[in-house]
Amino acid sequence: MTPEHSPPPEHTRGRPGAAAVVTADGLVKRYGLTTALAGASLAVRPGDSVAIMGASGSGKTTLLHCLAGIATPDEGVVHYGGPDGDVEVTALSDARRSALRRSQFGFVFQEGLLVPELTAVENVALALMVGGTARGEAERLAAGWLAHLGLAGMEQRRIGQLSGGQAQRVAIARALVTGAPLIFADEPTGALDSHTSADVMGALLGATTATGRTLVLVTHDATVAARCARTVHMVDGVVAADRSASPSPSPYTQPSAPPTVSPSAPPTAPPTTSQSGREDGR
Amino acid sequence: MKTLRIAWLVARPSRAGLVLSLLPVVAFTVTTALLVVVLGGAAALWTTGGQVVNAYRMFTSIALSLLVMPLLGLGGAAARLAARRRDDRLATLRLLGAPRGQVSAVAVLEAAVLALVGAALGAGVAHLLVPAIGAVRFAGAPLGGSMRLSGAATAGVVLAVTLVAVGSAVLGLRRVQLTPLGVRLRTDATRTGWVPAAVAVGVVAAASVGVQVVGGSGAVTVVVVGLGLSFAAGIGVLNLLGPFVIRLSAGRRLRRAGSAAALLAARRVLDDPKGAWRQVSGAAAVSFAAVVVGAGVSILDVASRESLSAEDAMLVTDIRTGLVVTVVGAFLMVACSVGVTQAAAILDRAELSRSLARLGTPESVVESARRRAVIRPLLVTTLGSAVTAAVVLFPLTGLALLARPLSLLTILGSVALGVALVQATLWATAPLQRRAMSETP
Ligand SMILES: Nc1ncnc2c1ncn2[C@@H]1O[C@H](COP(=O)(O)OP(=O)(O)O)[C@@H](O)[C@H]1O
Ligand SMILES: [Mg+2]
Repeated sequence: MTPEHSPPPEHTRGRPGAAAVVTADGLVKRYGLTTALAGASLAVRPGDSVAIMGASGSGKTTLLHCLAGIATPDEGVVHYGGPDGDVEVTALSDARRSALRRSQFGFVFQEGLLVPELTAVENVALALMVGGTARGEAERLAAGWLAHLGLAGMEQRRIGQLSGGQAQRVAIARALVTGAPLIFADEPTGALDSHTSADVMGALLGATTATGRTLVLVTHDATVAARCARTVHMVDGVVAADRSASPSPSPYTQPSAPPTVSPSAPPTAPPTTSQSGREDGR
Repeated sequence: MKTLRIAWLVARPSRAGLVLSLLPVVAFTVTTALLVVVLGGAAALWTTGGQVVNAYRMFTSIALSLLVMPLLGLGGAAARLAARRRDDRLATLRLLGAPRGQVSAVAVLEAAVLALVGAALGAGVAHLLVPAIGAVRFAGAPLGGSMRLSGAATAGVVLAVTLVAVGSAVLGLRRVQLTPLGVRLRTDATRTGWVPAAVAVGVVAAASVGVQVVGGSGAVTVVVVGLGLSFAAGIGVLNLLGPFVIRLSAGRRLRRAGSAAALLAARRVLDDPKGAWRQVSGAAAVSFAAVVVGAGVSILDVASRESLSAEDAMLVTDIRTGLVVTVVGAFLMVACSVGVTQAAAILDRAELSRSLARLGTPESVVESARRRAVIRPLLVTTLGSAVTAAVVLFPLTGLALLARPLSLLTILGSVALGVALVQATLWATAPLQRRAMSETP
């Protein structure tokens, strides 16, 4: 039995020639006199992993936010090819974009930005509860994902009791638990040392592209970018150079994992301690 | 002069807007205005009453002691808000290489300026309020100008408020410098122990027995002394018991929480039960007092039908007036302190709130969590302390309930009014929360 939210939705599995999962076309975004985006375009195919690199202030975060419907560009359009067909993200109301982010996208930020009063498992479960999943079920799925990411036994820890790398894994679990087909990460390893950074990247890739999800990630770190199938460079608010790490970027030309044994699926049985409804005595 | 230049760099209105920079000033204004009014009223009452001047002094002291808690809460909240506002910019300064001493000087200087401006404005507001509040009648005549504090006394209050703000800025700064991360991500929830709770229960039991013994005789002075003693005991009990009760009830709500908002709210209260108590303790104290004094007044009222002297009858009337004034004043302070604390908390958590919004968390979830985290502890403590008072003074309250059921309704009404005031304050801070969550501040 696999929890309903865990297996990657069928449409996100790498398919040759599949339509782009998210497309930005001619995005322009100004903040006062600053032009953060000056006509940026990007198309991301399902199952791909794209690293966005570039100098500080070149517009990476702004592009990510426009792609994810967090910010709205002044000009240009963003399309999302979701399970319900094509959606013009830039034409949606605030509330509809919020709902889209909640159900279709996962996010990992540089600093984790987890709720400090909640335990690890509650932080992850929160993403499901906000979407209407009952608490018991949400915590069960959350615990499964934490265990899958190597955090078994740490479910009841508060965020302050975790290391930077562990906290980032909790953030990854939170991004994945809803079954979102498209994951955005803004410098997810920016605050970590290189060893931990490699671990966290491994966890992130293993849980996204390896199971057919799509990953769009901003990074300063060439080693991190090298692990993605494709790297784009931004210069002064435009996507200047676009190259794939290998001649035949694997995930969408050759599905890497057979759909039957999905490595992302959390264990069917949650850890023995009950996560739901227990007061944290620590 | 370099410090002054840096101070301007840090203090000038930021992107977050002028409103946020003005909030601490407004908080100090409200604190000082209420403080000056309360002290003025107390000074006027201190010399009222002729033969029964001691009774007036005792009840004035009780009212003052009641108002100290919410007033300290409000002042502390104002100081914390002033300190918090510039933490991030101070950190930037430190990164830019400003010496630590200079950064501290800037912080203290800014706190002093904000507090001084706010307190001076507050003193002005208080003096403008004297004609309105002076219309309240005590001892058969309006208080009037007798409640106007002298210029020297007013200046003293302004200075005291400023000093307290500076002191709290120094303390706050040290905490930030010692544990920059510990402040943001507290590793442990603050603890509330069993010992204070056990002591509190013991005091309640002792006071209850004491009142039953004393309550047997009917003399007015005995009733008054009994009231005073059990009142002091009760306030002490409340302070010991408050955080503990808040933690217990939040723990229960955590286990039952089914929605994201309920979970967030319960965890937030559990994270700092003492902070939650600090926010609402004034309301708890005043609802406790409303029951005690309300019951006492009802009894005296019944007695006055037969045998009360003219002076005693006037005292009874004045106690009732004083009770209403104190309840209204205390709840006003609590509402202000909730407003200030909420503003500070919203600013403090703006980045987290925005990240939740980015994940697609509806504004309503975060807003509802924030409200529950205030309102639930408020309800638990106000109702809890009213019930505690009723239990401690059982013979008195039982008698009052039989003789004057209306007095009970008055008490319930004042508690409801207080909760409504706090609700209104939460509504007032909702736009700030919305702004904290939005991408375009
Ligand atoms: N909310 C904002 N308000 C004003 N300026 C902004 C805002 N967000 C980004 N900018 C500006 O837009 C430019 C691009 O920013 P950003 O996308 O964050 O760059 P990057 O992530 O590549 O470092 C920068 O010059 C930045 O200062
Ligand atoms: Mg960035």
